Amino acid sequence: MKDNFLTEFYNTIIGFFRQTEKKEEEQKNAKEVACNRLRVVLMQDRTNLTPELQERMRIELVDLLSKYVEMDREALELSFEPVDGQMALMLSIPVLRAREEAEIIATLSEEDLKDEEDITEETHAEEVENLDEEIVLDEEISEEHEEVLQEDSSEELTNESEDKKESEEEIKE
Amino acid sequence: MQSGILENPSQAKKIKGETMSGRVIVITSGKGGVGKTTTNANIGTALAKAGKKVVMIDTDLGLRNLDLLLGLENRIVYTIVDVVEERCKLKQALVKDKKNPNLCLLAAAQTRDKTAVTEEQLKNICEELKKDFDFILVDCPAGIEQGFQNAVAGASEAIVVTTPEMSAVRDADRIIGLLEAREEIKSYKLLLNRVRPNLIKSNDMMSVEDVVEILSASLIGVIPEDTGIITSTNKGEPIVNDEKSLAGQAYANVARRIIGEDVPFLNLEEDTSIMAKVKKFFSGLMSKEK
Repeated sequence: MKDNFLTEFYNTIIGFFRQTEKKEEEQKNAKEVACNRLRVVLMQDRTNLTPELQERMRIELVDLLSKYVEMDREALELSFEPVDGQMALMLSIPVLRAREEAEIIATLSEEDLKDEEDITEETHAEEVENLDEEIVLDEEISEEHEEVLQEDSSEELTNESEDKKESEEEIKE
Repeated sequence: MQSGILENPSQAKKIKGETMSGRVIVITSGKGGVGKTTTNANIGTALAKAGKKVVMIDTDLGLRNLDLLLGLENRIVYTIVDVVEERCKLKQALVKDKKNPNLCLLAAAQTRDKTAVTEEQLKNICEELKKDFDFILVDCPAGIEQGFQNAVAGASEAIVVTTPEMSAVRDADRIIGLLEAREEIKSYKLLLNRVRPNLIKSNDMMSVEDVVEILSASLIGVIPEDTGIITSTNKGEPIVNDEKSLAGQAYANVARRIIGEDVPFLNLEEDTSIMAKVKKFFSGLMSKEK
């Protein structure tokens, strides 16, 4: 019984001190938390990158790096941190396995082939885009023209209708 | 350092004889309520006390308050809008301070909005005032819209006021970004207001060093939180006139740094510990008496 009581007593006292320790840590953190949150927010503010753009950048980086090393696609972390007063893009990349050289070369050559196809496609695509732009421009111009035309025609119409009315009146007379 | 002080007035006189070329400093913050206007009133008063000719321009059209902090609200006849719209001459619109003839105020119009004055017009006013004054302090409205753009237009230096709070620091960072994009702003300095040494000591508030590091800007002053600010505002008398006040001393030091003196920063933490020591001493005596 006495032993039990003593151990309980000991535990409660130790627990009390641990709690106060924790509280002190939390208090220390209030300022640290503020600093860290601010650093992150300011980096985002300064880069002009929205969370969506950042995620896209992350995915593209994962795609790029996966050619050379096998990695956990979800675990790549991106962050902006100040280093020597300059903004640095920090990447944390957990590598699962190094790829064989042959494997890398194989994927790369595949890529190259794809790229060549892409290039031809892209040039086509660009041409199409250019065409689209021109068309858009044309449309804008034609719209303006149309507006002018409409104004003109509406005036004409009103004139015409007036004329008609007049002629009708004449007929009535 | 002493020779520096002695040199300054003679130089000022020399310049007075010819044409003066004053420094235009805009006081800005982004966030509202961090103490821009209070800072303006106090630095202006301190500079005037140091013998400089100072004019303060309130550009917060529609929400003017600088007149209240200086106790000049009943003396305003013409405002900056009257000058711009040529209802009076610039000199007629300058309101002289009650105590210090070196200090003038160009008040904002209370019934108009920020579009009543353009950047170009403010620039011209600043150029005109440069001829007669050593310092032109421009009180900037909160925000980053037209009011800010106007206030900054004529200035070549800036003081960014912030407090050790996240939102104020974030807004200050934004303002610094905008100031850096403006070619006419040659330098900007940070003024950290409403610092609470006790909270910093207990790690509940960001320290001066934290804010300076995060914003990577150089510091021109650290002003402690002071309840005296409230009473001084109520009386319409800037706190720099109260020499006992710690915030007043801190503002006076800022003014001296602007003039070019090398003044060490007040050690706010040490001060509180002295108070603590005094308290301890007296409580010790009390207990002995018992």
